[in-house]
Amino acid sequence: MSTHITDELKSWIGREATYTAPEELGRASIRYFAMALGDDNPLFYDASFARDTRHGGVIAPPTLVCETNQIFQNPPDGNGYIGHNWPLPLPSSRFIRGGNEYEFHQPVRGDDLITVTWRIVDIFERETSRAGVVIFVLSEARYTNQHGDLLAVNRETNIHQP
Amino acid sequence: MTALRPRWFEDVMVGEALPPLEFDVTLTSLVMYAGATWDFHRYHYDPEFVAKLGMPAPFMDGQMVGALMARQLMQWGGADAFVRKLNYRQRGTVYVGDRIVLCGTVSDKSVDEGRALACCALTVTKTDGTEIVRDANAAVELGRRP
Repeated sequence: MSTHITDELKSWIGREATYTAPEELGRASIRYFAMALGDDNPLFYDASFARDTRHGGVIAPPTLVCETNQIFQNPPDGNGYIGHNWPLPLPSSRFIRGGNEYEFHQPVRGDDLITVTWRIVDIFERETSRAGVVIFVLSEARYTNQHGDLLAVNRETNIHQP
Repeated sequence: MTALRPRWFEDVMVGEALPPLEFDVTLTSLVMYAGATWDFHRYHYDPEFVAKLGMPAPFMDGQMVGALMARQLMQWGGADAFVRKLNYRQRGTVYVGDRIVLCGTVSDKSVDEGRALACCALTVTKTDGTEIVRDANAAVELGRRP
């Protein structure tokens, strides 16, 4: 099996990138996210309802924090993408998503100011029945708020096809 | 909508099915999700761009599938619910024009560090049976009966 895992590529394992949002998340962001999913759960917009629940106030849908974007000065790339990206030295940028593992440590609220730390956990190749030799990139994003509380961890697998 | 009440941990039975969630994937729904998540990649709204990549239509971001699973879990778990864990392997791509069906079953119950958790096994399929996720599982924290 030919190897695409060069020393240069392996040197990316363990690298980190941290971004902090310039402002609080905001209740409107929570409402837009819920609307986009057709979700009418009052926990996400109705303050008087949410106050009387165990949560004590409006919270965000669980995965929202893992879709927040702390980058605000980069223009979109040629395909419209905006946000964090690892410039990995891969033979091609064609990739498919392998899946997600989310841990949610505490509900996210509109007044949370979010910091994310991205890290590359592992890079390896594997022979697959579907696509031949592919490169797996495992990354992790940890989200915290301005109090240092851990909000969520998202481990993602991206599968690159050389 | 009907009032959202807590679902007490004590009342949940292993083997119980969650109410299925059906979702019609329209260009509008993908644009709404793109806007709400600052994901302006042309994958999700540009038919000509994706046609050049050999794809039949704009397609759903993988994390939107997870967001829909979380919607189903939070609705089922009621006012005191909080999803603690969710994981899945992506198997299929969801395109504009598809209708997807999310199903779930309670696979286990446990109290862990004082948290009352219902573990759920989940599936997401298209109406033609195409599998979208595999090994999808969640742990939902529920309220305890007072």
